[in-house]
Parts: sequence; structure tokens; C-alpha cells
Amino acid sequence: MNPLPILRSIPSHASRVSVIALHAFTQLVRMKVFYFLGFFAVILIASNFFNLPQHEGPESAGVNILRSIKSWSLGAMTLFSVVLSIVATALLLPKDVEDRTLYTILAKPVPRLDYLAGKLIGVLLLIFVSLALMDILMTVILHLRTNMVLADQVAAAEARGWPAGDIQILKSDILAQGPTASLQGAVFSVFLRSTIIASLALLISTFSSSTLFTTIISFLIYFIGHFQADARAAYFSQEAGTSDGWFTKMISLLVALILPDFQIFNVIDAVIEGQVMPVLILGKLTLIGLFYAVFYVIASWFIFAKKEF
Amino acid sequence: MNQWRKYMILCFAVLMAGALRLPFERTLTVELQQANLLPAKLEVKTGARIGQTFSAVSLGGLRTLVATFLNLRAFAFFSEQRWEDVAESYDTIVDLAPRTRYYWDTGSWHQAYNAASYYLYESDLPPLRRKLAWRESILKGRDFLERAIQNNPDDWQLLEALGFLLSDANKIAAFGSPGESYEKAYEAYKAAVDTGNARAFTERAALYSLARVPGRETEALTLARKVEKDLDHAGTPTLYGLLYVLEYYPDPNQDVMKLVDTIFESRKQAYEILGNQWLRTRDHFPVHGIARAITLLEAELQVSEAQSVLKHKLQSPMNPEEEF
Repeated sequence: MNPLPILRSIPSHASRVSVIALHAFTQLVRMKVFYFLGFFAVILIASNFFNLPQHEGPESAGVNILRSIKSWSLGAMTLFSVVLSIVATALLLPKDVEDRTLYTILAKPVPRLDYLAGKLIGVLLLIFVSLALMDILMTVILHLRTNMVLADQVAAAEARGWPAGDIQILKSDILAQGPTASLQGAVFSVFLRSTIIASLALLISTFSSSTLFTTIISFLIYFIGHFQADARAAYFSQEAGTSDGWFTKMISLLVALILPDFQIFNVIDAVIEGQVMPVLILGKLTLIGLFYAVFYVIASWFIFAKKEF
Repeated sequence: MNQWRKYMILCFAVLMAGALRLPFERTLTVELQQANLLPAKLEVKTGARIGQTFSAVSLGGLRTLVATFLNLRAFAFFSEQRWEDVAESYDTIVDLAPRTRYYWDTGSWHQAYNAASYYLYESDLPPLRRKLAWRESILKGRDFLERAIQNNPDDWQLLEALGFLLSDANKIAAFGSPGESYEKAYEAYKAAVDTGNARAFTERAALYSLARVPGRETEALTLARKVEKDLDHAGTPTLYGLLYVLEYYPDPNQDVMKLVDTIFESRKQAYEILGNQWLRTRDHFPVHGIARAITLLEAELQVSEAQSVLKHKLQSPMNPEEEF
């Protein structure tokens, strides 16, 4: 087989996908999705000034607020990205059918795979831009607040006559709660999880009868997907008394094979708590995210390829 | 192609893709657990596990935020002195944020210190009930800290908090034998030092505990010399008081004043430090040779017999039988 025609067609595919992606992006922007960013900014600024009633010793004063800023920010990013990736993707195909845009596009020599990939990339682009903006805002505020806490704590430690080594330990403890590279990795993990859930929603929308159905099923899968790892562990559990019989094992295997594992993306919480995320682990998460996205897009195309409207 | 046939092929493809990624995800999960990025699995039946970790797992990305809110609720329970609810709240909080030292530390502190003090001074319960509740609260606080350490074995501050609790003069009666408790406190402090991240104070605290363990005086002396050397001979009064006692212990017939001159800057300073150590009966510090040194120092510093430290009334160690 001569690979040249396929290679020659790549630029035209890429061009078509990018046009559709930009169109989907614009379509979503017009839905005033970015208003959420204003809401996020308010949450972030408020979390910076909240004086929550909690116990704080003099040696940890201010550190909790850093954790609080990260919790609020990544929590808001998680909610925004999951809801947007499901709802926006579920809306795309029915909206194009309703507007009759789909007929115009498919009447042209646009491969259906390009159409689906373009739509998905449009949604992901919107999520990526939103997360990037939220990340910038969070990093700036966290950076400023970390410096304030650090200055206060170091001054207090010096006043108490702490040795230099102890002050260094204090500094490292505070900086671990500030804007670290792992925190950026956590934000990227939020994006990866959105990629999986959006591509899954795309697959469901190719055979679903309504937007509501796609949305509900996607949310259910997202929720149950957090227990996929437990189902897998139950299947592989060899020790007596840890498995619950043949039937449970088979059900566990089915759940493990069908549903995506969203639990691995719970690393976000550990990073908020100050854990370090190695680059290799982020790489592996990216790999698994790509695997799901590519598989779901191809599966969507398989269902959508000959579908009649 | 028939639509149903298509769906069958899709189902088959989904299963095949699942089989392909399953080993990778399984290995990755173990890696994440080893890197402390995911909590380790509990060794219980599936149903029970899902029950226990339901909220922790399903709130991916929102767990720490929910923990923040529950912490606020726990504060409200604390204000109302609802200790059972405080304990329950912190059990849930640490399920959601098992790597946040603050929650473990605060949860343990509420039980071992706040609830225990409440039962000691304020509760309307009958004395025997108050005593039982006091002891139970302290033990609950200790259990919570020990769970914290199991979850965060490298956290020197949690280990230090356990050492502090086990060697607290006002709590030690709840743990049974003081000697055993000081030994456990020493082990906790030592584990904190062994992490390589602890502050200089932690090793000093380890020494203070070890010095109070009967039968381990030789080890304590070695540690005391090391700590004093590490501090570049600028130690604290407690350190010098213990150094004197531990140097005296193996050879009670030695020249006491010579020993005093070796350890302290002046005889006046020696008198102040050893006098204070003699009076700190609640802390269970060893007093080998202190009475002898004080007698000689008082004679030299011309302290009248009426003003002698040795004549002061000594406070008895915390005894629950007398407190309730």
C-alpha cells in the first residue's frame, strides 16, 4: 500500500478539523461560558480574605489559608471542567441537528471523523483556555499570599530565636503549600480528566436520543468511574475472604473493563495537600488520557459514520 | 451494517480496550499509592470498602474542599462541647484529606486536650464517669495520632505531637506506667529525628523523655552529651540539669562539686538549675545526686536552712484519683 496519499491528506484533514474546532469554540464562547471566570475570580479573592473559624497555632498561622486557596480553586476548576465537558459535548450534535448546520457540513466533502474530532477539540480548547486563565489567577494569588505568610512566619521564628536550620525547615514547609510545579500538574490532570469525560460524552451522544440522556449517563459514568479501581481490585483479589464470590468477581471485571478509571486522577487532592507529583506520573496520566480520548473518538466515528439524519 | 451488529462490535471493542488498559492502570494505581498520591487500599470486603471510602473516592478533586467545610462544622461542635460529634467529624475529615497534618493534629488535640480538660474541670457527670471519660478522651487522642502516623509515616511533626502527648505531665497518668509512656514518647521523638527533617528541639525532647525511662540512663547520657555538643555548648537549663544527673548516676561517689564545675558556668547557675529541677516533681525528672549538690551549694552560697530548696513543699504528680 502506498502511504503517500494518506500523508498528503493529513494537512487537509488538520485544516478541516481546526475550522470545525474553532467554530465549536466560538459557538460555546457565545453561550457566555466565560462568565464562569468572573465567578471563579470572586471565589478565589473571597477565599483569600475569608477568616474561617478554625484553630491555628502561632507556628502554622496562615498556612491553612494557602491550602484553602488551592482547595477552592481546584474544586472550582474540577466542577467547571466536568460540567462543561459533559454538557457542552452533549449539546454539540443535537444543536447542529437543530440548527441544520450538520446537514450543510455533511453535504460537503467533510469526513465524519474530522467533524467529530473538530467538535471535541473545540470543547477541549474552551476547557483548556478556561483552566489556563483560572490557573494563572490562582498562581498569582497563591504566590502573593505565600510570600506574605513566609515573611510573617520567618519574622516570628527569628523573634523566637530559632536556629537557622529550623527556619529553613519552616520555609520549606510553607513553600510546599505555595504555587509548585506539582500544582500545575494537578491543573493539567483536571484537564486530562475532562478530556476523557468529554470524549466519552461524545461517544454517548452519537447514539443517544436526547441531550438529557447523554448528560445523565455521562455524569453517572463519571461518578461510577471513581469506583472502577475498587472493582478491579476486587477482581484481582486472590486472598480468601477478600473477594465476594464468582458473580461479584465477574461483575467487578465487567465494571473494570467497561468504565474508565477516574480514581487515578484523584492525585489532585494529594497535590492540594502538599504532595509532590513526579513528571513521570504526569506523563503516564497523559498517556492514559490520550488512550481513552483516541479510543472514544474512533468508537464515536464507528457509530456516527453511516448514521442517517 | 445492521445497527445492532454495530453496537455488538462496539461492546466487544470496549471490552478489548478495557483488557488492554487494565494492567497499565493497575500498575499506575500501585505507583500512585507508593508516591503517596493515592491512599492505600483498606484490606476489607468490597462492600465495606466502598462504604468506607465512598465519599473520599467519589469526590475526586473536591475532597479537600469538603474537608474544609467539615472542619468548620467540627469547630461549631467544639464550641458546643459536643465531643462525640467532634471526633466523628474528624474521622470523616481525615478520610477525605489523609495527608493533611493539620486535621490529624487538630482532631487529636480536641480529644486528648480539650475534651479531657472538659471532663476534668467542667462536666456535670459523677466523678467516676468524669474520670473514665477523661482517660478515654486522652486515649482516643493518642489513637488518632497513631493512625495519623500510620497514614503519614514520614511526618516528623505528627511524631513529635505523639511524643509530646505521651510525655505530657498532665496526661501521662492516663497511659498507665510513666516509665513505659516516656519510653514510647522517646521512640516517637526519635522516629521524628530519624526522618531528617525535624527541628533541633525534637532531639532535645527525645533526650528529656529517655532520661525519664528507668534503666536507660547510659543511653540517655550518651544522647545528652551529643545534644549539648550539637548545641555548641549553649544548651537549655533542663539539658544541663539532666546532664548533671546522668553524669552523676553511674558513679555516686564522685566529687560532686567537681562535676558541677565541669557542667555549669557558675555555682550560682548550678544552684538555680538544680533547684528548679528538684521542684519539678510533676515532670518525673530523675534527681540522682541533686539533693547532695544542693546541700553543698547552699552551704557555699550561704542560703539559710529555712530558705533551702530542699525544704520547699513538693507538688505531687498528676493523680486522677485525687483530681476527680
